[in-house]
Amino acid sequence: MARILTVEDDALTAREIVAELQIYGHQVECVGDGVEALRRARSGAYDAITLDRMLPGLDGLGVVTELRREGVDTPVLMISALSDVDARVRGLRAGGDDYLTKPFAPDEMAARVEVLLRRRRAGERETLLRVENLELDLIARVARRDDAVLELLPIEFRLLEFLMRNSNQVLTRTMIFESVWGYHFDPGTNVIDVHIARLRRKVDGGSSPSLIHTVRGCGYRIGAGK
Amino acid sequence: MSTDANPALPEPIAAPGRWRPSAVRLIVIYGAFFLLWSIVLVGSISWQTTQFLDKVVGEILEQRVHYLATVDRSQLPAMLAATNQLDLRGVMYFGLFDARGAYVSGNIDRLPEGLTPDGSIRPLPKGLKAIDGQLNARALGVALRLESDDVLVLARTTSVADRIGAIMRSALFWALSLLLIPGLIGGYLLSRGPLRRVRDIEAAVAPIMRGNLGARLPLSSRRDELDLLATIVNRMLDEVERLLGEVKGVTDSIAHDLRTPLTRLRAQLHRVQQANDPDDPRAAAIERCIVDVDALLDRFRALLRISELEDLRRHAGFAEVDLGETLRRVHELYAPLAEEKGVALDVSADSLPLVSADAPLLFEALSNLVDNAIKFTPAHGTIELRARGQLAGTRIDVLDSGPGVPLGEREAVLRRFYRSRTTGDGGGDGGGYGLGLALVAAIAKLHGFCFEIGDNAGGGARMTLYCWPCSSAGARSA
Repeated sequence: MARILTVEDDALTAREIVAELQIYGHQVECVGDGVEALRRARSGAYDAITLDRMLPGLDGLGVVTELRREGVDTPVLMISALSDVDARVRGLRAGGDDYLTKPFAPDEMAARVEVLLRRRRAGERETLLRVENLELDLIARVARRDDAVLELLPIEFRLLEFLMRNSNQVLTRTMIFESVWGYHFDPGTNVIDVHIARLRRKVDGGSSPSLIHTVRGCGYRIGAGK
Repeated sequence: MSTDANPALPEPIAAPGRWRPSAVRLIVIYGAFFLLWSIVLVGSISWQTTQFLDKVVGEILEQRVHYLATVDRSQLPAMLAATNQLDLRGVMYFGLFDARGAYVSGNIDRLPEGLTPDGSIRPLPKGLKAIDGQLNARALGVALRLESDDVLVLARTTSVADRIGAIMRSALFWALSLLLIPGLIGGYLLSRGPLRRVRDIEAAVAPIMRGNLGARLPLSSRRDELDLLATIVNRMLDEVERLLGEVKGVTDSIAHDLRTPLTRLRAQLHRVQQANDPDDPRAAAIERCIVDVDALLDRFRALLRISELEDLRRHAGFAEVDLGETLRRVHELYAPLAEEKGVALDVSADSLPLVSADAPLLFEALSNLVDNAIKFTPAHGTIELRARGQLAGTRIDVLDSGPGVPLGEREAVLRRFYRSRTTGDGGGDGGGYGLGLALVAAIAKLHGFCFEIGDNAGGGARMTLYCWPCSSAGARSA
């Protein structure tokens, strides 16, 4: 269970965020203005913050800038109605860790928060990722399952790395595309599905149990079990 | 917003040779009227002059015949001979015949036909025969029975009147030649000026027809009829641009406003789906609903994205971009999808100079082109991504072996929501030609690049991005 601060001035959206994060078993506190958000977040007592870009008092950019200036490194998911590239760049440059545009699917928001929480817990320093009997050596750039080396293309390696860094978490197609390819648009058709299907054939082909799972209506998850 | 709602493209303007400038037509009509009127005028003057001269000749003949009738019969032949001597121009004819009509004296040896000895002037249409055998064309004559019962005949040719007529006809011919020839040449030259300006207007209209509604018709400083017409058309274009802007604004607002409730609807469906047993028969229905809502959301997202790109004027995100590398990354993203469909996707890129561009946007544009190519290329087909350096800059081609884009649809497919009739509906994922190519055109325009749809040499479509500043930035068709 993580402690999360939700900063959102629109009551309906705030309720949605809180409800969704509670489903994941988190303890959520909600505030409606920037000044109060800054006061509470300063303590560093939260594991993650969802921060609306436009707020009364002090806006989201101001809040995150000030937090980073004061050395508070709580991961921040910026949520904004501004969808253009410049707004995203400004949000991330100010210190946001991820950026989500409104309107958003609550499960996507929750999945992004989970990724931030995981990153905070694990850090980026891991050099060997492991999920069940699947192993990814980030230094030697080698993937093994049951000690058998998997022949992966560079893009498949990056994709598997992202999945494994966030093992047992639901990752949406948009999140995968943004993180692995680094672009922020809808690639259309089922491009990501086809990449996952290829990776799955290599990772799960012949071995049981299968590790890469499709989460209906949402995305993918790597891990044991259904 | 279906394909059927899109009207057919206007027919191209017919061959230039078929156009006749109005100035030439007016000059020809004016010339014909001028010619006709001149002929009537000169003809009338000529006729009246002839009539007058004939009357004068008739009076002279009448005077002479009555004078000669008073001369003594015995002296008459001598008198006629003496008068004949005085007629140096040879226009007068005399004849004295006895009661039976036999020749007595003079230079006519027989009574002319149609002349009765009653002293009245009559025309001699068949002329008269002189002693020396000369036949005069037209003449007036008079015959008078003298007291001695002889018949005195006097005649005079009307050659003077005829010659005046000929002079007038010749004058008319020269006058018309001098007026009509420079008139026609002038008319031709006059008509060329406006025709050239109409051609300029035609050239200015071309980008407007391609969808650049910001372009206007050229105006000269002459402020003539063509300028008046161009001003009217420009005003009309202002209005069309404003209305289309409003329609686009309304569409964008609808897309924007509907996204929030649709996202909520999707979230609720997702929750119901998660709460339900996956084996429940209703699960499939919920899954279909989610897919449909996702398709709607994708469509709205793409629509708003195009608007955002069309309104983007700044080049803040521009940096030096390696187009070959960008193309290889697009290839990497789409290679599995092509393979899945049984389509060969090849990439070839020269070593190219860097281009100032927005890399993510170019990647997005090229992704759309490749996505479309994969969608429309049948199994066992080929798609080639090619980046080539040219003198002006780098040119990127996406060549497929699909059905291609018909000539008449190459402009239309760039419009939002247009779907090619020949290539089917392109699937229900909100992509297809519906918005993808409109997005590519918007990105090309933002960069000042030209985007062109043409034919692939081996059949299929050729989508080309000319990555250098282009005068008609945006889209054009080959």
